[in-house]
Amino acid sequence: MYPMDAVGGKDKLNRSQTRVVLMRSIRMAGEFRRQALWAMILVTVSTLCTLAGPVLVRHGIDAGIKAKDERVLNFTVVAYLVVTTLAYVVGRAQYVSLNSAGEGFLRILRVKVFAQLQRQSMAFFDREKAGVLVARMTADIESMAELVQWGLMQFLSAFLLLFLAFFLLLSLSWQLTLITLIVFPFLIAASVKFQRESSKAYLEVREKVGANLSALQEGITGVRVIQAYAREDEQIRRFEESNRALFRSHMHSVKVSTWYFGLIEFAGIASSALIIGIGGWLVHRGTVSLGTVVAFVLLLANLFDPVQQLSQLYNTLQSAAAALHKLFGILDATPDVDEVTSPTELPATGDVVVNNITFSYAAGSRPALENVNLTLTAGTRLALVGPTGAGKSTLAKLMARLYDPQSGSVSFGGVDLRQASMEDLRRRIVVIPQEGFLFDGSVRDNLLIAKPTATETELLRALDNIGLRERFEALPEGMDTQVRERGSRLSAGERQLVALSRAALVDPAVLVLDEATSNLDPGTEMLVEAALEKLMIGRSVIVVAHRLSTVQRADKIAVVADARISEIGTHDELIALNGHYALLASTWNKTQPQ
Amino acid sequence: MTEETKGVTREGWLLLIATLRLQVRGLSMGAGVGLAWTLGKVAVPQLTRLAIDKGIEKDGSLIFWTMLILAAATVAGFFAACRRYFAFRESRLTESYLRERLFAQIQGLHVGFHDKAQTGQLMSRSSSDLQQVQGFVVNIPIFVSQITMVLGVVVILFFSDPILAAVSLAPLPFINVSARRFSNKIHPAVLAVQQEQAQLANVVEETVSGVRVIKGFGAEGVQLAKLQTEADDIRRESMKAAYIRSRFLPAIDLLPSLGLVAVLGLGGHRVITGDMTLGGLVAFNTYLTMLIWPMRNIGMTIAFGQRAASALLRVNEILSEEPAIKDPVKPRQLPKAGLAQPTGALRFNNVRFGYDIGHTDVRVLEGLTLEVQPGESVAIVGATGSGKSTITRLLLRFYDPQTGSIELDGIDLRELRLSELRRSVGVVFEDTLLFHDTVSSNIAFAKPGIDSDVVVRAAKLAGAHEFIMQLPEKYDTVLGERGFSLSGGQRQRIAIARAIVADPRVLVLDDATSAVDPTKEHEIRDALATVMRGRTTLVIAHRPATIELADRAVLLDEGVIAASGSHHELLETNEKYREVLAAMATPKVVE
Repeated sequence: MYPMDAVGGKDKLNRSQTRVVLMRSIRMAGEFRRQALWAMILVTVSTLCTLAGPVLVRHGIDAGIKAKDERVLNFTVVAYLVVTTLAYVVGRAQYVSLNSAGEGFLRILRVKVFAQLQRQSMAFFDREKAGVLVARMTADIESMAELVQWGLMQFLSAFLLLFLAFFLLLSLSWQLTLITLIVFPFLIAASVKFQRESSKAYLEVREKVGANLSALQEGITGVRVIQAYAREDEQIRRFEESNRALFRSHMHSVKVSTWYFGLIEFAGIASSALIIGIGGWLVHRGTVSLGTVVAFVLLLANLFDPVQQLSQLYNTLQSAAAALHKLFGILDATPDVDEVTSPTELPATGDVVVNNITFSYAAGSRPALENVNLTLTAGTRLALVGPTGAGKSTLAKLMARLYDPQSGSVSFGGVDLRQASMEDLRRRIVVIPQEGFLFDGSVRDNLLIAKPTATETELLRALDNIGLRERFEALPEGMDTQVRERGSRLSAGERQLVALSRAALVDPAVLVLDEATSNLDPGTEMLVEAALEKLMIGRSVIVVAHRLSTVQRADKIAVVADARISEIGTHDELIALNGHYALLASTWNKTQPQ
Repeated sequence: MTEETKGVTREGWLLLIATLRLQVRGLSMGAGVGLAWTLGKVAVPQLTRLAIDKGIEKDGSLIFWTMLILAAATVAGFFAACRRYFAFRESRLTESYLRERLFAQIQGLHVGFHDKAQTGQLMSRSSSDLQQVQGFVVNIPIFVSQITMVLGVVVILFFSDPILAAVSLAPLPFINVSARRFSNKIHPAVLAVQQEQAQLANVVEETVSGVRVIKGFGAEGVQLAKLQTEADDIRRESMKAAYIRSRFLPAIDLLPSLGLVAVLGLGGHRVITGDMTLGGLVAFNTYLTMLIWPMRNIGMTIAFGQRAASALLRVNEILSEEPAIKDPVKPRQLPKAGLAQPTGALRFNNVRFGYDIGHTDVRVLEGLTLEVQPGESVAIVGATGSGKSTITRLLLRFYDPQTGSIELDGIDLRELRLSELRRSVGVVFEDTLLFHDTVSSNIAFAKPGIDSDVVVRAAKLAGAHEFIMQLPEKYDTVLGERGFSLSGGQRQRIAIARAIVADPRVLVLDDATSAVDPTKEHEIRDALATVMRGRTTLVIAHRPATIELADRAVLLDEGVIAASGSHHELLETNEKYREVLAAMATPKVVE
């Protein structure tokens, strides 16, 4: 009953934007050209069938009944029956063909947008809100589903119907057509006004629904606190407030639509009264036949319905165009970290050299790193320490080319990372994030994310190497245990074990490790430590460190402060220096267990 | 339908009727207005017939008949608007009223219920299920007027020409049946599409949030393959729905045309033989077209009703749930605080308690006995899962002990009114839940509407004033999920201020400092010391600095108090105490 796709003011496209979106969609749907064409033919035929009804009735009355010609009457009846049957067959076919073209188009759109999304750089994902990206792939595409399911068909047929009915009426009698047209300007004006007001009312309802849902959610998730403070009554009062505001906005939108529906009802009957009144007078004068008047009365519905439908569909179309516009925006975004066309192969091992890099997350903002130089010698461990936001995680990420520096370079074994292929790079340098992120699926699926082509033997060997095979096999269904959404069936420690195993499977030369700040369950913590220790053997390691124990095990420590490396050396050297690190180490000691 | 589901559906319908009984007046108004609309609408073809037969074919007064049709148009238009208004008002009222009852019930249900219930399910009870009910109620006035219209039209048609009526009406019952079957078939198909859409959303969501892992391993292809599968599933399910539509919708659209064909054929011959007037034929035609919508709608409404009935059953499951923790029939009052009589004495008498998780009972407390003097502060130390937080929950009567009792100032908690008990016990939880409201309302949570001076004083005591003054709207800044977000330590300080405003007899600090940065811990510690002064306090903590705030510490082990004494005594004498603290201690976060 509401225009479900009311478009907010800022989302509305202007005319030229709409044209561009339309042309591009047509080009994209090219694959379904034949199906779409076929569907259009079917829609046209079924519209013609719908219109044929009243025309045949007119013919039956004038040439059959009034002329008392039974043969013509019988012929007309048979023709009507044939047209109806045809309309049914065509009607079925048009649903199927339009939907299969439309759903096919949506499928392509989903896959294309998603593929393009994945091609974007990390900086893109930092910039864009996750919710917005998910909405592009879900709500925005789904808003077109309605259009595909019946909207487009209805639009086409309503348009044709209006057009054809008008010409049909004109050919039957221009005088009566003129009479019919008297109501039209009012009808269109009323429809436009209604659409505008109801869109506004609907946006209001949508906002109130949102507020009501969050009040509800707050009441459910916060029930323990609410009860602990004996606040139930107050909370109920507040919920009722939002509930009543929602009711009022519903009522407002009903009032907006009420007069319109009454008016439409009135206009429909009133215009047939006009046709009969004036048409009757014309029959008396012999200008039109009685059959024509009857046909007009019957055809009127075919004029009124399409106007209503078109005004409603106009909104749906607008919101679909707005959604497409946003989706094309994603398709057009060029990734900032892109692959070179003819990559240089990376050596099996080598030093990681950071050469005078400067980097900021957004153009014009304060650099997160400035003129940083650093060398990670093959097979050694480097710990990065320093205050939050000083840039140590950023440095680690640049060393794995999750971002590209604005100036300077990062190289591995003498090859600039930007000259290597992504595939090659990911095999040499692996990042282990703070928290093991799991995808819905089995443990095995989650491990194979790292190397989809790995065989079972390879996988088991990798697990054996870091001593985790038994741990995973001990899970309820072993490696086939479903981890559920975000790995909720596993503990934080177990998720971390998965992350380590992924790295083991890839067997990289360089590990970039962001140490967890929060604690794991004590049982798994030990296992994580042991596995990590095995994993680090024979590899170069950069670790963003939060624990003293980790720092002490590193060959070299770099203190990152204020976007620069302020101190670098071994633990003893830095303690002797009595600078930032020495201070850090002393606070560290204080918070140790007593 | 099996016997069982039939019984369930009947129960749902009875519930629906019971719910609507409150709105008999509004719904009758809607139905009455609907009948008036029916009259206007049914009159039109009759008037058209008369206009053609008397006005056009003979030389009657055309203007008269035209005016009459216009009058009918006005009646139909006016009452159509009124009917719509009543229908929506009543249906929204039903929805709104049920939602308020549901919310009040949810607020009153015991915590044990909430442990088992999923937020999403409770949410959908009060959103999508109530929408189903609304969707049915809104159709009632239309349903009534359409039924009368169908009856009226059928009677008129049979009176004017029984044979023609019988033949032309024959296809109509099929419309009704098809509409009902269509509605029942398309509903699960649409749900299936939504389910697939939700799965695709999951893939996108995990890809976006796990983008570091995906990029880190170059696993874009794996995710793309997942997405393609989901996109294919959506297409497949959508096409299933499309086939259902293609099977029913054109048929529903075109069945009435068969009646029109019959009228033209049979009726035409009768006009030629003079048994029927031309106006009568046109009227017949018009009546038939008038029946199309009602027949369709009646079928759909019945299907809606079935869905509404089962939705209401689900809603009623919650509404009929009896709260397990209730006010006593004859509540006792806590003794008034006075200088001579210090308050806040706590006593746990041999308390046994276990959580009921599914079929297994997880025993937590195995005969806990603990006495806390008025004004004394006790730190409870224990390993993870030892039941420290359970003590808080029992104290608030979120649960009742299975055996044994807890007394506050000599009165069993179960003999106190819940609101009195919970106002007397203030808890600062580990993670602070902020409500979508201003900073001051969040602080004044326990005492809405309290003076703003009190709020500011509490915020100052809790060490929150400083950062609050730096917020964009200071104390009027709106917090919560859709508002301004605070850091863990800031939230904690708001919670402490909240407890200060509540000014409880017994204060519980349930891991209240764990979210606070160690370098800032001393600031909060001062705030806590101020609040604790002279107040009975239970401190649940594992940071030595926080434990030291309490007068004494007890070790909770295997469901009982295993040791009691000062922090330093226990450190020196008790091996287990040292172990527990060492395991919990965290040499983390140095920044």
